Amino acid sequence: MSAFKPVLTQHIHQQDCHTLPFYQSEGGYSALEKVLTMDPEDVIDVVKNSNLRGRGGAGFPAGIKWGFLPKDMVKPTYLINNADESEPGTFKDRLLINKAPHQMLEGMLIAAYAIRCNLAFIYIRGEFYKEAEVLEKVLSEAYAANLLGKNILGSKYDLDVIVHRGAGAYICGEETALIESLEGKRGCPRLKPPFPALEGYLKCPTIVNNVETLSNLPHIINQGAEWFRSIGPEKGPGPKLYCVSGCVNSPGVFEEPMGTSLKKLIYENAGGIKNGNQLKAVLPGGSSSAILTAEEAVVLNMDFDSLMDAKTMLGSAGIIVMDDTVDMVQACLNIARFYAHESCGQCTPCREGTTWLVKMLTRMVQGGGTAGDIKMLYEITDNIGGLIDFSKGSFGKTICPFGEAVAWPVRSFVEKFEAEFINYIPQQETVA
Amino acid sequence: MPFIKIDEKEFEVAKGITVLQAALANGIEIPHYCFHPVLEVVGSCRMCLVQVEGMPKLQASCNTSIGEVALDKKLDGKYDMVVNTQTDAVKQERKNILEFLLLNHPLDCPVCDQAGECYLQDYTFKYGNAHSRFKEEKRVRPSESLGSNIVINQDRCILCSRCVRFTREISGTNELFVQNRGYHSKVSILKDKPLENLMAGNVADICPVGALLNTDYIHKNRFWNLDTIPSVCQDCSAGCNVDVFSQRDEIFRLTPRENHDVNGYFMCDIGRYGFHRFEEIERVNQPLVRNGKSFDVIDWAEAIQKTADLIEQSNGKTAGIVSPFHTNESNFLLGLMINGMLGMLPAIQAEEITYPSGFRISADRSPNQRGMNNICGGLAEDLSSEIKTQAIRGLYILDDGVDRELDDAWKEILAKMDFLIVQSYAMTDLAKLAHIVLPGLAPYEREGTITNDQDRIQWLRPSLSIKAESKPDWEILMLVNNALNKKAENFTGLDDVIIKMGEQFPNYSGITLFKIATQGIALNGKKM
Repeated sequence: MSAFKPVLTQHIHQQDCHTLPFYQSEGGYSALEKVLTMDPEDVIDVVKNSNLRGRGGAGFPAGIKWGFLPKDMVKPTYLINNADESEPGTFKDRLLINKAPHQMLEGMLIAAYAIRCNLAFIYIRGEFYKEAEVLEKVLSEAYAANLLGKNILGSKYDLDVIVHRGAGAYICGEETALIESLEGKRGCPRLKPPFPALEGYLKCPTIVNNVETLSNLPHIINQGAEWFRSIGPEKGPGPKLYCVSGCVNSPGVFEEPMGTSLKKLIYENAGGIKNGNQLKAVLPGGSSSAILTAEEAVVLNMDFDSLMDAKTMLGSAGIIVMDDTVDMVQACLNIARFYAHESCGQCTPCREGTTWLVKMLTRMVQGGGTAGDIKMLYEITDNIGGLIDFSKGSFGKTICPFGEAVAWPVRSFVEKFEAEFINYIPQQETVA
Repeated sequence: MPFIKIDEKEFEVAKGITVLQAALANGIEIPHYCFHPVLEVVGSCRMCLVQVEGMPKLQASCNTSIGEVALDKKLDGKYDMVVNTQTDAVKQERKNILEFLLLNHPLDCPVCDQAGECYLQDYTFKYGNAHSRFKEEKRVRPSESLGSNIVINQDRCILCSRCVRFTREISGTNELFVQNRGYHSKVSILKDKPLENLMAGNVADICPVGALLNTDYIHKNRFWNLDTIPSVCQDCSAGCNVDVFSQRDEIFRLTPRENHDVNGYFMCDIGRYGFHRFEEIERVNQPLVRNGKSFDVIDWAEAIQKTADLIEQSNGKTAGIVSPFHTNESNFLLGLMINGMLGMLPAIQAEEITYPSGFRISADRSPNQRGMNNICGGLAEDLSSEIKTQAIRGLYILDDGVDRELDDAWKEILAKMDFLIVQSYAMTDLAKLAHIVLPGLAPYEREGTITNDQDRIQWLRPSLSIKAESKPDWEILMLVNNALNKKAENFTGLDDVIIKMGEQFPNYSGITLFKIATQGIALNGKKM
């Protein structure tokens, strides 16, 4: 394999890379021009053929998602760009918004054209204030250049894009909670079915795609589905942004092909473990993925299926690296606390269970652990997130996957670092 | 129609209904909290999870609809769906959910008004664990007032959101919402928009636990001490079906009783708290006869005889004043007795209120205007002028029991009468003018039929016993009638009166209390 050259982030180090003149000088919006002459169905076919899988976390094939839209549409269709990047350890979309916003917007235009949508939204997390301003500027540039609005580039195709700032809730990254929030309601996930492709924003067919997913589209159109499939594993190919953070020398976002080894990402891209310490554990896909021990991590490739086989997930590719100075019980408590704070509170297991975990872990950390606590941690996480059996798919017990998102990491922490948890239980308790 | 099996029962169900609806309609209990038949399905309590064959994980039965599958995909060659509500996984899941719900619950059943009719209590006994594994500190939150009649005990709330959806979908008033997030979620109001609407009381009824409480009933009694009588609300002509809860001749509360042809699941607060009106009222306990400015107590035989004499002496110049507050039977017997001019007092009207869900509070605030009109055909349109032209000398008044300002024309009529006979349970303004007062029964003591404004005849059942020497209104009228008429008709009970009424009014023929039962009958067999 020839050396991989970044695709999505190829220009991010250049001056003014976020501006329209720059993007156009690098051939930007040529994919859009091409698409505007195509039949929307053919655009969907190209994306289906590329095997592009969603970069937001679930990894659902984008083309297939679009294919779920009702064929005889009487209601308007909406496209929502999910820029609510809120998974701890994930900061790739922010980079794309800041440094390559027109690439993302071109992707949105392509997607919107393919699904016959005339009004699209960018739902951006509330904390991304600066990014929202960048986007507003980008949109006004695009409107001025007739890349948005009526009769785009003389094609008779119309599209308006609205930037909507969220209020900073983690759960609003879940597509149905995002839609509720966009409608002005409380950000609580909806019961499914119906899925957004049939009943989404204002009960109309809606497609929600992640920033990175959309950013891939111009390249797929320009260079073809086959080119895309040649990068990384066939079943989930393409360039991928990996966010490496934690106990590494140079944390950051790195673009590598899908399926790049975790070892390379940590030791080469991110410059290895800080202070010469030893690698202890890795959360490969943001804080909601199951943790990997150092031994597991160094032999794994970062793609959807390899990580699924290892009983964790690629998620948002937020790689959180922990070295041997990290106290796993404290880290686990930290994660549990985050999820307890962010639970929307609809479903009983998630609302009650997350705080139970926090109370219990806090008690353990403060020295009040009891003999039965380990067993209880297993049982509570099972009761919140359901049995975790990757061969049979998700066994969630709640409306949205938030339950699993807290159960998986916490359970995996206890499972893989049980000794550390036992250490927190006073001696007399363990004997008894 | 899909053919399904739930546990060992097989049955056909309407296409598109949910597993939970199918189960409940066929007598299979699936515990649930957030589901309510008329509210949007949110599937958040997770209590109703069941095993659906072919699905890897447990399904929320409230959100699993039943469709027809292709012939070759039928389970066991015949079923469109096979559901099991009794597997180990389902049973374990119920335990788990109940454990979560009880983590911060104060377990204060001994002082909780909901005890005995609480789904948290019942399901815990039936499906839950006997012991708690929760070693941490429970959350304690203060109770809050949501409106003038409703308080919320936040510690008992399980956040099923029924009340929130009620104010959004049924009353359309939107006072309630869930405030904060996750563990800190609580049902709340905006400071300047408390839960003040005429349907507010229903939120306490639909609360499956002891969180929402009517201040009117808090700590007044225990559910199991109360006798429950299915009856009909008498505060407007919509005729909402109610359950009247009483103990030792005291009413403690009214709750709506399900009737899809009338009120659905709800009632308004006017009717709900209306029974208090009768608690303070000055009752007439014995027959009274005028003696100058005051009354003398007389016995019933004398009172009946005196009444009959007055009517007889008037030589057909006695008019009957029927009442939309009285039963069909009482009005019918008064009509039978007078056999001449009938009229009524000015009707009591107020604003008609219709809620987005279709629930209605009628402008006519009497319970039986329609029935009275059906039974007493030809009421005098302009009573005061009729009285003048026909030279009426006396009135037999079935008193509404409601004081109201009478206009000058009426005051003039009353002043001119030679005699007034008032049949009333209360010492109303009218009764104070009477020559003879015959003590009848108060609204929650009465029995009989009333017809709502949609022509549905309903059974008004008594919840309270007869006070002192009062007699049922129909019986008083029968006695007077018999004293007047040599051809005495000794009705032994209400059903006799109803049969007699049916002979004269074909709409009402063939009706018995037994047939009316708890759901009423649409007159003429028309579905209302």
